[in-house]
Amino acid sequence: MTSLRSPLGWVLRGMAVLGFIYLLGPLLVIVAASFSDTGYLAFPPQGFSLRWYHAALADARYLTGFFVSLRLAAMVAVLSLIIGTAAAVALTRFAFPGSVLLEALFLSPLVLPALVLAVALTLFFSANPIAPPGMTRLVISHLLVGVPMVLRVMLPVLRRVDPAIEEAARNLGASPTKAFFLVTLPVLRPGLIAAAALAFIFSFDEVEMALFLGSVRDAPLTVVLYGAAQMQMDPTVAAVSSLLILLALLLMVAQQMYANR
Amino acid sequence: MTNSADLVLDGLARRYGSTTAVARMDLTVAAGELVALLGPSGCGKTTTLRMVAGFIEPSEGRILLRGKDITTMPAHQRDTGMVFQSYALFPHLSVAENIAFGLKRRGVPKPEIAQRVARMVALLQLQGLEARLPKQLSGGQQQRVAVGRALVINPAVVLLDEPFSNLDALLREGTRIELRRLQTELGLTTLFVTHDQAEAMAISDRIAVMNKGRLEQLGTPREVYERPATRFVASFIGRANIFVSRDGRSEDGIPLDGPEGTLVLRPERVTLDEAPAEGPNAVAGTVDLLSFLGTGTQAVLRLPGGRQLLVEGPASLADRFHTGGPATARWMRDDLVALPAE
Ligand SMILES: Nc1ncnc2c1ncn2[C@@H]1O[C@H](COP(=O)(O)OP(=O)(O)O)[C@@H](O)[C@H]1O
Ligand SMILES: [Mg+2]
Repeated sequence: MTSLRSPLGWVLRGMAVLGFIYLLGPLLVIVAASFSDTGYLAFPPQGFSLRWYHAALADARYLTGFFVSLRLAAMVAVLSLIIGTAAAVALTRFAFPGSVLLEALFLSPLVLPALVLAVALTLFFSANPIAPPGMTRLVISHLLVGVPMVLRVMLPVLRRVDPAIEEAARNLGASPTKAFFLVTLPVLRPGLIAAAALAFIFSFDEVEMALFLGSVRDAPLTVVLYGAAQMQMDPTVAAVSSLLILLALLLMVAQQMYANR
Repeated sequence: MTNSADLVLDGLARRYGSTTAVARMDLTVAAGELVALLGPSGCGKTTTLRMVAGFIEPSEGRILLRGKDITTMPAHQRDTGMVFQSYALFPHLSVAENIAFGLKRRGVPKPEIAQRVARMVALLQLQGLEARLPKQLSGGQQQRVAVGRALVINPAVVLLDEPFSNLDALLREGTRIELRRLQTELGLTTLFVTHDQAEAMAISDRIAVMNKGRLEQLGTPREVYERPATRFVASFIGRANIFVSRDGRSEDGIPLDGPEGTLVLRPERVTLDEAPAEGPNAVAGTVDLLSFLGTGTQAVLRLPGGRQLLVEGPASLADRFHTGGPATARWMRDDLVALPAE
């Protein structure tokens, strides 16, 4: 181990600090700008005001967008979790011909840029209008990434869990249903929560597919923000972004507290 | 014996497609008896055990537990306590909760659960570890929790699948003595799976030797060692020199004075000396290998016909003979044990 007191240790520390500034700097700029008492985005902020927060909360478009995003992300998270976990169980518990290939295929949407998926899906849906534009199309599209994300998390979790524990529970007198709820589910729970959180956050933050496939009526918050940032670059956008950062922060803290429980 | 039979396997068989994992097995385990299922990897031991536990459906035959036919009973209703090769401890539950799991499922009152768990913890010397999670235990401690969890419910039959295979050699011996003591003290009817013949010899009342899904011999450790029923049993349990004797000669021309047919000669029954070989039951050869084992010396004697004769003798063999030198092997008439005609 390199001692943290050695010259190299100081260099490493310095790099860690720079890394943090690089990662978190943009967020700080946004948060700071949201409090600015000016009619345009200013950094460093001039004066201090909460009026952009008032404006953000008063603007129905943001609130509607927020609830659309929430609904979308919740559906994507739940459906991804069900489909992804089922696929992960099949891939880990049963070896069948082509299972390795299938696993690679399942994970492949993760490496495609969202824009490519968005364009491909737009073409697909215009050729096969199997779902109306808006929420349904968005959910289907987001599942293309959400399911592989869940799979990514659950495959190693399931590979680590000894399949014999469920048998042990049954041997000790638990019915198959009881064994599932008393043993399998609790053991998988942290993985399931992490997987669902990932899919939720992906869907909530996603812009490209939402822009291409959403409808005006069902515009998620990211699309509303994107539009606003192009039209009127006032600090309301910064205020909404800051609120989202706060929400993400709270979720992260909650997840950490659960994990360290 | 028959009326105190706790576990009866009656023509039990399991096939996977065209492969036969277990072929029509008949086996009776008496109350309080420990029977080892012994055989090489892939011979069907685990399949047999898992049919008794109810995890695998037999293709044929019946399983009786304390006189009751449990062949089609779901696993969780059978009164068996299984110790898994991987231990299969519940990773999210503490040591005490792992041990209490089966008692809770049986609706045992709380104070009694606490009392029985505490007794098991003391029996297995797990005191002070009750609140730990399995991952915070050593391999040996995990193994004891797995045993405690299966025994605390006082099952009609205890099933163990290679329970010591993940322990190092020293711990393994101590643990198997401990398990045998516990099993005798509590009078537990036990079916024990192992591929280690020394382990089976050390702790079993009887050994069921399996090969390719078949039960080859069932008997006490001494019976299977001294009176092997088949060539396979003779060479799998301990080491053996095997001759096919006809008209007083082996297939490679060694003069034999003993029964006709397939004969087993145990290495420790053979003595070595420097005198010339005369008459039957003596043969001269060249020492190919001498290895000192601590308790004795193992020698391999190469005979003119090409056969390698296994010999086990006192440590002094290593001083009296040397590799590449001559030696004469001798044995007594009674040392040649005939296998039943196959
Ligand atoms: N689920 C299964 N499908 C096909 N063959 C199996 C299955 N389980 C076991 N076998 C076969 O049955 C035989 C016995 O296996 P097993 O009981 O696990 O042996 P052991 O425990 O003695 O090593 C082996 O040849 C094995 O390949
Ligand atoms: Mg096995």
